[in-house]
Amino acid sequence: MTPRGNSLLEFVFSCPLPSGLHARPASHLAEAANEFASECTVTNLRNGLVANAKSVLGIIAADIRHGDRCALHLSGPDEHAAHAALRRFVEEALPRCDVPLAGVAAPGRSTTPRLLQAARVNCIFGTPVSRGIGQGHVVILKRMTLPGNLGRQVGIDPTRELERVQQAVSAVRHRIGEKLKYSLTPTGAAVLQADLAMAGDVFLVEKLTEQVLHGKSAGQAVVETGEFFIDLLGHSENEYIRQRSADIEEICLQLLEEVCGASPAPAVELHGSSVLVAETLAPQQLLELDRRWLKGLVLEYSGATSHAVILARSLGIPTLAGVRNARLVLTPGGEAVVDANRGFVVSQVSPAVRRFYEREQKTLERRKELWSRHAGKWAITADGKRLEVAANASSGDELTLAFENGADGIGLFRTEMIFLGREEPPSEQEQFAIYSEAVRTAGGRPVIIRTFDIGGDKPVPYLNLPHENNPFLGCRGARIYAEHHELLQSQLRAILRASAAGCVQIMAPMISSLEECLQFKAAVGLAKQHLTQKGVAFQDDIKIGIMVEVPSVAFILDQLSAEVDFFSIGTNDLSQYLFAADRGNPTIASLYTVRHPAFLRFLEQLVEQIHRAGKWVGMCGEMAADVRNLPLLLGLGLDEISVPAADLRELKRAVGKLHTSDGMNLLDRAIACGTAAEVEDLLSAQQFHQPESLLSDELVLLGSTSQTKEEVIQEMVDAFYVASRTESRDLVEEAVWAREAEYSTGLGHGFAIPHCKTDAVTANSICVLRLHEPIDWDSIHGEQVRMVVLLALRKSEVASTHMQVFSSLARKLDEEDFRQHLLEFETPEQVTTYLAEQLGLPSLLASESRSGGTT
Amino acid sequence: MKIVAVTACPTGIAHTYMAAARLEKVAKNFGYEIKVETQGAMGIENKLTENDIRQAHIAIFAVDIEVEGRERFNGVKVIQVPLQEALKNPEGIFAKIKR
Repeated sequence: MTPRGNSLLEFVFSCPLPSGLHARPASHLAEAANEFASECTVTNLRNGLVANAKSVLGIIAADIRHGDRCALHLSGPDEHAAHAALRRFVEEALPRCDVPLAGVAAPGRSTTPRLLQAARVNCIFGTPVSRGIGQGHVVILKRMTLPGNLGRQVGIDPTRELERVQQAVSAVRHRIGEKLKYSLTPTGAAVLQADLAMAGDVFLVEKLTEQVLHGKSAGQAVVETGEFFIDLLGHSENEYIRQRSADIEEICLQLLEEVCGASPAPAVELHGSSVLVAETLAPQQLLELDRRWLKGLVLEYSGATSHAVILARSLGIPTLAGVRNARLVLTPGGEAVVDANRGFVVSQVSPAVRRFYEREQKTLERRKELWSRHAGKWAITADGKRLEVAANASSGDELTLAFENGADGIGLFRTEMIFLGREEPPSEQEQFAIYSEAVRTAGGRPVIIRTFDIGGDKPVPYLNLPHENNPFLGCRGARIYAEHHELLQSQLRAILRASAAGCVQIMAPMISSLEECLQFKAAVGLAKQHLTQKGVAFQDDIKIGIMVEVPSVAFILDQLSAEVDFFSIGTNDLSQYLFAADRGNPTIASLYTVRHPAFLRFLEQLVEQIHRAGKWVGMCGEMAADVRNLPLLLGLGLDEISVPAADLRELKRAVGKLHTSDGMNLLDRAIACGTAAEVEDLLSAQQFHQPESLLSDELVLLGSTSQTKEEVIQEMVDAFYVASRTESRDLVEEAVWAREAEYSTGLGHGFAIPHCKTDAVTANSICVLRLHEPIDWDSIHGEQVRMVVLLALRKSEVASTHMQVFSSLARKLDEEDFRQHLLEFETPEQVTTYLAEQLGLPSLLASESRSGGTT
Repeated sequence: MKIVAVTACPTGIAHTYMAAARLEKVAKNFGYEIKVETQGAMGIENKLTENDIRQAHIAIFAVDIEVEGRERFNGVKVIQVPLQEALKNPEGIFAKIKR
């Protein structure tokens, strides 16, 4: 390459960046190129795309990926200097231009059910924020629309419009520049730097100018230029580049605001069942929509706690958030299914998809029906004593799940989450909406709402909490209420207002003295007074309780009982304060065990004294959630336990198998132990915990109308889901198919025996399915299958006695007589009874559902 | 004739045991004495003793995975077939032995 006069200088390089030349590195390259007067163009030799190297957008649009060979051409007055400088830049600076951005999460595990995979439909993944399934025509909410009166303008003066565009560009650049000055993190600065380059990009300005010269108004020019670039970048094959279309949209929105003033959020009219697709949504916009037709909501924005999301949840609209590029990928007017149970949108509704969702609907109905049969039942011990089994929750989703799992109430509604991770405290109105939703979901069952328990270990900027060396012994819980009086008042008012619609109780955290208790009661009194004056309804005799977390409380229970209605023992803090052992410190982990004679003695005294004062006492700590502790808790005589939703069923079921007197005996013996190890041994020797049955009537499906092997397996896995033996159907299905890939599980004689080893099932299970019409199963003898027996074994329980049952079942299937019986039975009961008999299962283990084991 | 056999499949939940049952049944029809060791999810069951193996005329491996303790069979004639074979055509295996 000999430089000659006005000739073209060029050099070739290959892109060293793993994510390609996306916005940030592109902005650095453009910045370097803009130092020179010469023309700089970059050609992607892979795809032939040519771009102005001074334009970030141009470079991005050239879709330069890792390893792509590119030619950089330079021509103009300072071409030699430019050549040298850019060559140096590409060799030295470019490879280091792309520090990974913090917080860009890798896409999570995303699978679709086998049947949808087979139907070859396109599924777009997102995070379910309001569960359910909805179907309708896609309606896309555009953010960039001109205010109505500016849509069509006549008599435009291009010179003036061009001026307005230029002013807008420099105003937006100025604004980004200001933000850049105050950017606190290097990542934030890098993003703003890229935005700044994009906002002044020559390609962008060129396009804007071109639009104005074609007679468009400044506003129209911005909208159309924005659409041009969103389209250009949005259809790139490169994920990073597609994401940049959101950046350019943001910049164009700012330009539009400069040109037209702040525009009101655009409204949408729905005609017929619709799925609304939007970047984000204001609560007002959601409320204005015709809810008869709004079947689902797809948001690109990923916040699970935005107001619109909370609202969508309370309205029961299936909603997915964080669906990247949803507005680009989904076609307006096309039909789509929002599956906010599994977390994806299906963008083409073929007959296969329709059939899949018809079957899914039936599965969901059956699951609900089965739940409602068990959910309302109380947990009663074998000797007839009731134990309330409530749930801990901190969000609406958890609450819904808790009641689906049969919670008798909410024993601890944590409200800290509402206060954390934001710049300003939540308003009374926002809190009221959240608590009301909780009360509505509870449908008359009690909800104990705990006022905020925030301490120096949690960052809450607006509270200005001091940094403490020992936050667990410092300003937390009720101790900060005096200083943050108004915050507590607004929360109490919100809780009281919500209490008008159901059964609410208020609980204070971290009470250690009578003074604190009295102050808290006075605060509730003040909030009540305020509402009375305003004529707002609330439950006047609302119950007030306190957490038992600080050991000092144990010595003034008589005095406290005179003031409050109930107590709830928080075992996590209580044990760490009792043993003076930080539970976050693994080196002293052995010190704070709850199964310690000292702690058990302490609990026994607490419960005894509270009951002597005639008050109610529950337990909401982790100790309550471990089923191994259950006999001890029954022995203590607690009125309630409150546990995570996932543990409810197991605990409720376990209560029914226990005797209070056995629990009391066990507690006596535990208390007499000298060490924690002795208590552990004592508990391990108790074989009270029985595994769930292998069989149940719900797992016998006679007369199935499935048409393919895929459908059969799905139907059987669905049966596990209906019976709450799995919450991850896709994982179970995957495990079954992984086995099927080895060789077909068809046995001949019209039988198949698919099986899997996976902890995605919560209990070892046998499912039996008989087909109405035989189907192909790629069987050994090539013959069709009529009877399918699915064995699902938990991976971690292969050593269990159930494996014995599985192996004898496998052997039995070789006997013609046995097979013949299975083909002839008419009811599920006959099948389970016969199998239990043949496999030597005790009848309780064989089929619990019929004997009503959960009550 | 005395026969020893081992059955084993990848998951060890179903086919290992079905194949064992099948081999036992068919051997009986042929008038052979058979002992089948299963290597499944429960580990080794009905374990073949040194004595069993020494007295056997032949060993059948109906397996899809490596046989555990294969060295025990050194010096014994072994017929190895895929496990499916024991389900699909167990008679064939015994017919081969007869020849």
